[in-house]
Amino acid sequence: MLKLWNERLRRHQLNQFKYLRLIFNDNFVLAFIVLIGALGFWYSNLLGTIHHTLVFGKPIVIILLFLAVQVGGIATLLEEPDSTFLLVKEKEFYKYFRAAKNYSSFMPVVTLALVNFLLSAFASRGAGLKIIDIIAIAIGLIVYKLAFLNVNLMEIYDRAHFGSISMRLASNILLLVALAISTYFFSWTMLIVAVVYYFYLNAQVRTLETSGQLQWKLAIETEDQRMFRIKRFYNLFTDVPGVNSKIRRRKWLDGLLTPIKPVSSNTYLYLFARGFVRNNEYIGLFLRLTIIQAIMLALIDNFYISLIVEMLFIYLVGFQLKPYFKEVMQNLMQRLYPISGKTKIADFTKLSTTILSIQWIISALAILYKFGLSMNSLIIIVAGLAVLIFVNYFYMPRQLKKYLD
Amino acid sequence: MTLEVKELTGGYGQVSVLKKETFTVESGQVVGLIGLNGAGKSTTIKHIIGLLTPRGGQILIDGISLHDDVEKYRKKIAYVPEMPILYPELTLKEHIDLTIMAYDLDHDKTWANANELLKTFRLDNKLDWFPQNFSKGMKQKVMIVCAFMTDASLFIIDEPFTGLDPLAVNDLLNIVEAKKKAGCSVLMSTHVLATVQNHADKFVLINHGQVRADGTLDQLKAKFDMQPDANLDDIYIKMSNEDL
Repeated sequence: MLKLWNERLRRHQLNQFKYLRLIFNDNFVLAFIVLIGALGFWYSNLLGTIHHTLVFGKPIVIILLFLAVQVGGIATLLEEPDSTFLLVKEKEFYKYFRAAKNYSSFMPVVTLALVNFLLSAFASRGAGLKIIDIIAIAIGLIVYKLAFLNVNLMEIYDRAHFGSISMRLASNILLLVALAISTYFFSWTMLIVAVVYYFYLNAQVRTLETSGQLQWKLAIETEDQRMFRIKRFYNLFTDVPGVNSKIRRRKWLDGLLTPIKPVSSNTYLYLFARGFVRNNEYIGLFLRLTIIQAIMLALIDNFYISLIVEMLFIYLVGFQLKPYFKEVMQNLMQRLYPISGKTKIADFTKLSTTILSIQWIISALAILYKFGLSMNSLIIIVAGLAVLIFVNYFYMPRQLKKYLD
Repeated sequence: MTLEVKELTGGYGQVSVLKKETFTVESGQVVGLIGLNGAGKSTTIKHIIGLLTPRGGQILIDGISLHDDVEKYRKKIAYVPEMPILYPELTLKEHIDLTIMAYDLDHDKTWANANELLKTFRLDNKLDWFPQNFSKGMKQKVMIVCAFMTDASLFIIDEPFTGLDPLAVNDLLNIVEAKKKAGCSVLMSTHVLATVQNHADKFVLINHGQVRADGTLDQLKAKFDMQPDANLDDIYIKMSNEDL
């Protein structure tokens, strides 16, 4: 069983590595640095405005730490066929899950350490906590999270409840209470509670080996959903096979589609436009990036950062639309249509021009809000338009050609 | 409409699955394409519809090849794939509209055909559904509707009977019969030999990427040296045993 786990882990990590490499391409790294820079800039500005302990400082710290603990669960790497092929090995799966739990503790520990580190500046200034308090709480949270992974494991054995109360709910209430006592009264409470809870849960989990009954369906579904979330995240940056995004009818948007006349030359525009507004993935991506861009532009008053944000985000939305074209091109039936590849690309460009123009107008409004009617505004808006034209008329046609066959 | 496949050689990548296949489908003929799994039926079909490029030989529809006039060639064919392929983001009604646009068909006339077919397959009240709500058999029916409402003259259907309920199989055979009467040709690959035996005019038996034999049932019996009461199943098994 440990061999199976190690084999799966190796394959899983190779896969992750493959996607991470695709995500961290030049475009993304650039966007990422700008984003981190902008956030850091905003955070340090914010800290500069805090001169004494805030009333809501402690509640904010509690909420953020509570949310940080929720990050990451147990990665079981179970697969659908397991419930058929490995059913007979059920008893031995306990060892497999122990290994899975050990592997799964890495991500949450790193996340918690990082969040605590970043939050410490605010915690000491805004919430009036001492460094030793912050460290004690951080260690307490990490131990607590290690304990909580056992709850994840007990869930797939359907043993995660105290009577009729779910262990997850009870644990979260315990966490909130311990965090509140730690921040307001005695900072070591979190650590003490966490250690006790850790030993209690570890003892509980040990009984699973002899008396547990694995809930195969639940376990596999949980893992599927976890993988789906990861892949959906990767899918924002690169295309991941096997991610089928949700489709919604959105009848109320049909009005937007009526200008597309049902004539032969519009065949692909008809298809692309409907797909774009109904496929959560693409419209979601457009909305997310447009909204983030508009908020950043409305808040940042540095000319150069705004200029980069304006240009970069328009380029990013255009860049991220490419996989949609590829997805449609993979449909076998459309390859039989008596319509040339040139028309397909031209129709897609019409769609992308419309989408980027909407984004450009929204971002222009945000810029005008921040910089008013000034030379700076004009330069940024014109730069955005230049990127729009570049993406639609030079970049897209060349890039899309390779997806035609 | 005549389909001529002449000495067709081809396959995926470097591997030649098909070796010098030759057969014809005449106007008003229903032809059954028969062979074991992996014999090359679907590969033959993919070459005819133009998804694969032949390495050798020729495929002509009414004397023109895909190379001569892509649009003209493609408009003559309607294809129903083995596994239904639909657009996840389009409703049933929009699939029909899209097909009309893509093949530049007459809107009202085609919709009249489509409505009749939709009624036959009991899909007429599901026009606003998405593919994700359809069962496998219903998807197959959508593919059939989208193919048979067009004014193509050659209908190519890959394994049409699997997944369809018996009523739908019967309806499909009636539609095929009607198209045949109208002078169109139908090429269908299938494993359901009892059905195809009663409804096809001619059979093309494929083995190892080659045409082992073709002709009517009587011609095949003669070629394989079979009893007069032999059926297609017997011939098929005899052909498969030749390898042993």
